[in-house]
Amino acid sequence: MLQYVTLTIDGSRIRAAKGTSVLDAAIEYGICIPHLCHVPSLSDIGACRLCIVEHVRNGSSNVTTSCTLRVQEGMVIRTNTEKIVKLRRNIAELLVAEAPNSRAVQDIAVRCGVKEVRYPFRNNNCIQCGRCVRYCNQYWRANVLGFVGRGKDRHVDYPIGTRPDFCKNCGACTLYCPMSVTPCEGPMKRGEEHLCGKCESQLSMSASLPGACVRCDLGKGFQCARHA
Amino acid sequence: MVKIKNPRDLETLRVKIQRERKKIHSTIIMCGGTGCQASQSLAVIDAVKNQIDRQGLQKNVHVRATGCHGFCEQGPIMVIEPENLFYCHVSAKDAQEIVSKTLLKGEIIERFLYVDPVTGKKIRTEAEIPFYKNQDRQLLAYSKLVDPKSIDDYIATGGYEALAKTLMGIAPEDVIEEVRASGLRGRGGGGFPTGRKWFECWEAPGDEKYVICNADEGDPGAYMDRCLLEANPHLVIEGMMIGAWAVGARQGYIYVRHEYPLAVRHARYAIHQMREYGLLGDNILGSSFSFDIEVARGGGAFVCGESTALMASIEGKVGEPRPKDIHTVKEGLWDKPTVLNNVETWANVPSIMLKGSKWFASKGTKGSKGTKIFALTGQVKNTGLVEVAMGTTLNEIVFTIGGGSKTGKAVKAVQTGGPSGGCLPVGKFDLPVDFDALTKAGSMMGSGGMVVMDEGTCMVDVAKYFLTFLQDESCGKCVPCRLGVDRMLEIVTDITEGNGRPEHIGLLEELAETVREGSLCALGKTAPNPVLSTLHYFFDEYVAHVEKKRCPAGVCKSLISYTIDPEKCEGCGICIRACPHNAVKGEKEKTHIINLLECRKCGICIAECKFDAIMVG
Amino acid sequence: MSTTSLNVVLKGRRSQPHQLIEVLQDIQDLYGYIPADAMKTVAQELGVPLIEVYRVACFYKAFSLKPRGEHVITVCTGTACHVRGSTLLLDQIQGQLRIQPGHTTDDGLFTLECVNCVGACALGPIIAHNGMYEHHMTPGKLRKIIGDVYVTKKEESRHG
Repeated sequence: MLQYVTLTIDGSRIRAAKGTSVLDAAIEYGICIPHLCHVPSLSDIGACRLCIVEHVRNGSSNVTTSCTLRVQEGMVIRTNTEKIVKLRRNIAELLVAEAPNSRAVQDIAVRCGVKEVRYPFRNNNCIQCGRCVRYCNQYWRANVLGFVGRGKDRHVDYPIGTRPDFCKNCGACTLYCPMSVTPCEGPMKRGEEHLCGKCESQLSMSASLPGACVRCDLGKGFQCARHA
Repeated sequence: MVKIKNPRDLETLRVKIQRERKKIHSTIIMCGGTGCQASQSLAVIDAVKNQIDRQGLQKNVHVRATGCHGFCEQGPIMVIEPENLFYCHVSAKDAQEIVSKTLLKGEIIERFLYVDPVTGKKIRTEAEIPFYKNQDRQLLAYSKLVDPKSIDDYIATGGYEALAKTLMGIAPEDVIEEVRASGLRGRGGGGFPTGRKWFECWEAPGDEKYVICNADEGDPGAYMDRCLLEANPHLVIEGMMIGAWAVGARQGYIYVRHEYPLAVRHARYAIHQMREYGLLGDNILGSSFSFDIEVARGGGAFVCGESTALMASIEGKVGEPRPKDIHTVKEGLWDKPTVLNNVETWANVPSIMLKGSKWFASKGTKGSKGTKIFALTGQVKNTGLVEVAMGTTLNEIVFTIGGGSKTGKAVKAVQTGGPSGGCLPVGKFDLPVDFDALTKAGSMMGSGGMVVMDEGTCMVDVAKYFLTFLQDESCGKCVPCRLGVDRMLEIVTDITEGNGRPEHIGLLEELAETVREGSLCALGKTAPNPVLSTLHYFFDEYVAHVEKKRCPAGVCKSLISYTIDPEKCEGCGICIRACPHNAVKGEKEKTHIINLLECRKCGICIAECKFDAIMVG
Repeated sequence: MSTTSLNVVLKGRRSQPHQLIEVLQDIQDLYGYIPADAMKTVAQELGVPLIEVYRVACFYKAFSLKPRGEHVITVCTGTACHVRGSTLLLDQIQGQLRIQPGHTTDDGLFTLECVNCVGACALGPIIAHNGMYEHHMTPGKLRKIIGDVYVTKKEESRHG
């Protein structure tokens, strides 16, 4: 028997089953909070920090990730305050400055309102969203991939650096990797990195309808709830 | 070994030990803590013990090897009671002289006496030394009184009395109320009210609960917890047991960082001795309380001082924090209700139970009760551990107790709270030190690290130092910390290398806000503090670096150059030999010359030159 | 790599995944580093996926995946030591031995490590030479310590 709670997201009263995350509850009701490392059917780790919202309690608000926050009766959530919009934009800016060579990351940047990148571009081919690791360990239970190292040295690797023979070659790691989506104009070589910002439709939609799903390509093929 | 089965056994044993101790004439106390060990104090202790044996004085003279006294720069330290005579910088070869002259004949050997660096006078007794006199050493006083490897010492000084009193008649809810009323707040830096934390764990459902002691002490420059655990592990364990009784836990862990092997050994030995006496296990002191405890070692990671990362580490996993939407008092170690407190927090508990919450609350300020231990280090004359009541001002700590600048250059700032804290300029030293006053001023008291900086310290370099530290120690899981701290470091590095631009300052501030609000754990959330506090109070230094491409303190290598003053250079050749980059050339007795293209400004020549002939400009 | 000593380390800890860090600490003490074969055995005996063992071995600074030199020089880079000039010590070693922190000289004699505070701050700058602390270090003293090791080595090979 599922127990339900009622919470308020951006002024709308929403009913959700106990144990659901605020992010899932919002997406279900058509309020799309930008997210990257969240994938349905896998655990949420709160790593990308794009899904942050303000949890309003006793007159003050706490910034936290909606993917790790479980719904509670009477909860009040704001997803698009000025503060959240600015934070999200800055986080997306950091991401696209780090790994611009992916259409998914460029889409996210546009979706979050990034208009300029104030840091020197790098051309990293991993944003450490953890999708590959979680698919490998939780979904396929192969235990082939893991995050190795700390801080700047942290990277995805095989055990002791070598691909083991128990890797099932399922291909999930590359299939669901945001970096495998090539930018529209082709791969960006070293020195050619830039903020694409070409998706006019998404730009105008995200500005005029905050919270509505703009059918960003991060959902396509990534089992976003809006792409059934 | 006789088992202590109830409080009466404990009392009997205590009286017995105290009676035996009364027969002793003199006690020679020597510090065997990590600091003094680095000064070879163990050899001194052995030498003194040999001398005592050789001269047949074992019956009347007791030698006590203790843990850290907190005055490490004077080590090896020796205190002779009952005269309270204080000797410092003692070496093994002095043992015979000290035993023959001082112990047997009562003669004081002048050259071992402590010289007050402020007045230049020699001081005889420990009690008169200003460094000690101006403190309120509630916890640190134990360092002298107990040998950490002797549970009997601890019992003789009243050890486990608080536990006995608690188990024999104070209900868990009343213990929690007493701790709440005392106003004790977490000493690890967070300052969360301890009573409230225990209450929330107590009311959490489930009968498998844990208590953990956080002895990770990762803040560089802080060693209060090392001292407490090395010198008196029993005090910490007793506090944990009282807490476990209060919340309903039956198992405890002391998580000690990898870099403290002596603290690990002393804690494990204390546990071993407690087991021998029956003070761990079932029905402790004849009550219904059963408890056991073990020491878990860290693997070398600053982030494991964060509670969820620490618990992951005890579970044998990588120390990556998890979001704290559900607090660890509800779901902590192995997802069970857990109370995690700092070493110093636990150490304060027994005295609260014995002397009462009113006594504890009589010291300190309105929001911060009791005493706090600080590690005063850096460019200050008297470096060491300082325990004072909360509310003591920075002036008192740095100048009255610390003795002011060591180097001759004026004190410029003090850095408190480690990498989560900030820098305060000397003009703000009238601030009282407690949980709230420093935070209001833009810094943070933190766990107690206090590094004094003089005019020769570049504050932009300090910001770079802390960002480098945090970048190295970040677990790397979340974007704002992994990428944000990295970009902040990139910008500050540019500034120190003369590539700073005016827009960098605004960008730094915006980045700082993103990292602070967006990060998953406290490491990320507090990472911007060193940058923000130095920007706020030392803005002129940033301006000098960005606009004038100058480093006023003479530290940032790209903005300075080394030249040899021909007036002072004697041509001795020391710098030529010392330079690891072969950048100095010259003939004997002729002015030497530094090749600016080869010079890496490592500063080794300046450190070695006896004539102060190398200029930084 | 002896299986008997590894057995001693694993005794009483088999099938207990939470003992992983303690086991690796003992292996590090035993061999001076964590050999790949040891990791595989530990994974099997403790019931932990190999990737997890590898993750833990790489995450914590206490563990080294490469053998260390005969003389491990650890420079404390904590705040108090930094303010008192620990950077000079790093410069000295980097200049004299031409190695970066975390690396070993080609002759296998020296490894340079950094540690973020050993808690002996009043005595800084501190270095540890094979675990033994030396306080109030200066570049000159350090140069002598390194030099003495080479002199002793030369004498040993002459008499050896």
